[in-house]
Amino acid sequence: MSTTAVPQIVRFAAENTRDVGDVLGIGPDQRVKWARGLLPRGPVNGTIFYAGEMYPVMGNAEGAFRLMRRLEGFMNINTLAKAGPIMKKLGIYTTGAKALWGGINEEYERALQDAVFVLKKLGVEMGYLFEDEPPSGVALHTYGLLREFKEHAKGVHEKLKEMGVRRIIALDPIVATAFKLYYPEFVEGWEIESYHFVEVVAKKIAEQGLKLKLGRKVKITYHDPCYLARTIGVVDEIRFIISRIEGVEYIEPPRHGVNTGCSGDGGLELTQPPLARKISYERIEELRETGADLVYTSCPACMMMLRTGFDSLNYKIGVYDLASLIAEAMRNEIDRVDPMKPEFKRYNVLPKSPKPKSLSLEDLAEMLRRDTDKCKKCGFCNVECPTANALDMLESRSARGRMTLINSLVRGDPVRPKEVLDRLYSCVLCGQCSQICPVGLHVQELIIYGRAYAIYSGRAGVPS
Amino acid sequence: MLASSLSNALSEIRRKIGKEKVLTEPEDLYAYSLDASTEHKTPPSAVVRAYSEDDVRVVLEVANKRKVPVVPRGSGTSLTGASVPAVPNSILLDLSPMNGIEVCIEDGYVMAEAGATVLQVDQECRKYGFFFPPDPASSRIATIGGALAENAGGLRGAKFGVMKNWVLAMEVIVPGGKKIRIGEPVYKWRWGPDLLSLFIGSEGTLGVITRAWLKIHPLPEKVVRVLGLFDRIENAGKAISEIRRRGYVPMILELLDRETIEIVREVLGYDVPLGEAMVIADIDGPEEAVWRIVKEVRKAMEESGGETTASDDPEEMEQLYLARQGAYAAVTRAYPGVLLEDITVPLSKLMIALRELDKLRKEYGLRMPIFGHAGDGNLHPNICFDPEDPEQVRKAREMFLKTGKLAIELGGAISGEHGIGISKKDLFLEEIKAVRGEGYIELVTQIKELLDPNGIMNPGKLWF
Ligand SMILES: Cc1cc2nc3c(=O)[nH]c(=O)nc-3n(C[C@H](O)[C@H](O)[C@H](O)COP(=O)(O)OP(=O)(O)OC[C@H]3O[C@@H](n4cnc5c(N)ncnc54)[C@H](O)[C@@H]3O)c2cc1C
Ligand code: SF4
Ligand code: SF4
Repeated sequence: MSTTAVPQIVRFAAENTRDVGDVLGIGPDQRVKWARGLLPRGPVNGTIFYAGEMYPVMGNAEGAFRLMRRLEGFMNINTLAKAGPIMKKLGIYTTGAKALWGGINEEYERALQDAVFVLKKLGVEMGYLFEDEPPSGVALHTYGLLREFKEHAKGVHEKLKEMGVRRIIALDPIVATAFKLYYPEFVEGWEIESYHFVEVVAKKIAEQGLKLKLGRKVKITYHDPCYLARTIGVVDEIRFIISRIEGVEYIEPPRHGVNTGCSGDGGLELTQPPLARKISYERIEELRETGADLVYTSCPACMMMLRTGFDSLNYKIGVYDLASLIAEAMRNEIDRVDPMKPEFKRYNVLPKSPKPKSLSLEDLAEMLRRDTDKCKKCGFCNVECPTANALDMLESRSARGRMTLINSLVRGDPVRPKEVLDRLYSCVLCGQCSQICPVGLHVQELIIYGRAYAIYSGRAGVPS
Repeated sequence: MLASSLSNALSEIRRKIGKEKVLTEPEDLYAYSLDASTEHKTPPSAVVRAYSEDDVRVVLEVANKRKVPVVPRGSGTSLTGASVPAVPNSILLDLSPMNGIEVCIEDGYVMAEAGATVLQVDQECRKYGFFFPPDPASSRIATIGGALAENAGGLRGAKFGVMKNWVLAMEVIVPGGKKIRIGEPVYKWRWGPDLLSLFIGSEGTLGVITRAWLKIHPLPEKVVRVLGLFDRIENAGKAISEIRRRGYVPMILELLDRETIEIVREVLGYDVPLGEAMVIADIDGPEEAVWRIVKEVRKAMEESGGETTASDDPEEMEQLYLARQGAYAAVTRAYPGVLLEDITVPLSKLMIALRELDKLRKEYGLRMPIFGHAGDGNLHPNICFDPEDPEQVRKAREMFLKTGKLAIELGGAISGEHGIGISKKDLFLEEIKAVRGEGYIELVTQIKELLDPNGIMNPGKLWF
């Protein structure tokens, strides 16, 4: 990767995704072991279950973050990232990770296994690509490595087509978003349908009129992942599924659905962990105050942030993927009572995505200038922005400030791309700014394009 | 002002309040280079983030000693360039981190630090069945300090007036670092001339407001919304003066013209009734009385040629308010360039003002949707133009000046609530010449020199 403006840790994650197939570079052997014996190899009727580059290894990431928290003050995350390749050379990386964090990882693997169990139980026919599953590369997109993402996505498309994949069911909402929104934008001729797990499950439960029984009584709440709720608008399916499980008392957190208090992935936990943590604590308090015994969600990144957060604050509240709740209930007797036509609202709260003519610097600059010029500096976005709030409204790490900085960068004001990038990387891509902006700017996506411009602009000694 | 004085001042401030509160990286400075006027871009040379009264005191002591300009800033939503530096080598004093709020129901006040937002103050009061009446449309982000320094008003101004009407006491730090406490948090006090009014509306040119004790009001028992649709804009103007003349004081009394309604329909796709003008009135009062007043207000509207609807159902009320709620978003989405005017005219001249404004837009051929808090004679003509077209920019500027002059001719004011800042300096001097007499400038200049002998407070604003 020829872009040295990006921090070491980002390059580590991006290169691993591209070359090894998962963010941590754990490798295919470990990554696919959760599925052995569960699913046939290759698509079935064109359909695959897609595990993605996070879920199968996320326990290792969680382990690494727990370690980081302990080492904080002694070692920075970029130094740890530098240790990765050295450990790889010594041949102790994968085995080391397994020995240290294999136990935690099993909990994430279980989510995948539960999801597959549920889909099979509902009669969904599908296969899995095992080692051949190409990583979506969404991290490249997240970190603004858009040229690399485009190139990578083209390869993924060809590979999937070659294997006869026509339909993807993903458990990870970030990769579901990539296939639903970013692939059609970046890859010409992309026609593969993609769904998030809960979309398929809700539809099947409705069609088959199923009523599930948990066999115990629990008080739960649900944390809407921002990608799932705000970006692809899947909200009602989740409430519907939960309402079909007897034994569950459901408590809605104050910020839910499209107004979820999810403070996003955005990659912040890699680039600026203390800030990511500060933001997650606020949400954790909110979820705790619901009085629920268990928290469910549908995203590996959310699961990790919540699990580590609850632990750091010494709250004994379990966090699981919703797939595990449904699987638990489906292991009991299932009633078929009232088949119905599945009709779920698709929320569409975000404005139109900005589109540069190409990823050339000129075209990126032209689009970014035109759009950020429209920003009226009303600051409404800042009120919602979790990073601004966590930093006492520090303008340069707020939604509005980021619009101003991107504008300054493309207009040639004396700001440094690397430093602008640092401030753009402090955004968690939660999209709350885009949802509120009266002018209709897709602030979140402009930030991703701004990251790309800062990376490729080649100023401040950064080779393009 | 010498750059060396600035750097000496910054070293001293860093030493006294901690270096983490002093920002000098260009990327942090550029983020603060604009306010919501969007046209006066100047990055400060340093930003000091005030976390306490002591931080403010140190900045004003050191800056005064070394003659360094200081620009106080709340949330930077000034629409006139008031919160960006007008001169080089300025320190921007960011008060947003100082945001404590304490409600005292027994004594009927709320104490807020300068950086608390108007909405946060209002929400705090609502927890106890009270509210804070001034509600600038920017209340979710505008700070108490900024709102006081601008003497902000809002929708409820028709009944409840502006910030000035709600202040019991204030603490202000003046150049040199001295703290002045003005007033008491009691409903009646008097000693000597009212210095509160001196600082209210002073746009940061005399000192820094650090906290204020504000009156609160019980929540209205009942609110009913009335919408009147008119086929001539003058009739809407007539209805407004008629309602006031007959002795009714609705909580809000808003006017929207045809262009505004059209733009809301076109841009946001809202299904709102089309007419030459719309008047929205919120009538509050005890359950027993409110409908009687609603009847009278409807009568006044109908006798002026309007068709009316009324509702107390929350959803219907929202529907009736849709056009007003979407007005700013629609206008800013439709036009990349908007000059937001803010004139006030005597209520008896409202009809003439509307007629003259209509002539003006026809003469120049630019769109100029008008909406505003017409209940207190305050109109916001939004002059829309293409910033890339020099001819349109010229025309928009001329219209801006002529609109201000019209207000002066009609015995009104060039600014109802947005203030003077940089944008309205010239018009302000014209208004002073026309109506206030030269003695006014002399007196205020002497006061300024007395409080700020080195001219460090927000230089380049008003006429200072
Ligand atoms: C979308 C939108 C809608 C608006 N609607 C309204 C409206 O309905 N009514 C209305 O009145 N205004 C309105 N405004 C204008 C603006 O929001 C108000 O003037 C607001 O009160 C400014 O608050 P702020 O915290 O952003 O102040 P800033 O913009 O940061 O500062 C404004 C002025 O106050 C000074 N200042 C700030 N804090 C202090 C302090 N603590 N001590 C001394 N001086 C200080 C600054 O130096 C500057 O001169 C609107 C603006 C926008 C963008
Ligand atoms: S800038 Fe927008 S997307 Fe980024 S953290 Fe703030 S609100 Fe979320
Ligand atoms: S809400 Fe939109 S227009 Fe307002 S400051 Fe944020 S990005 Fe700019």
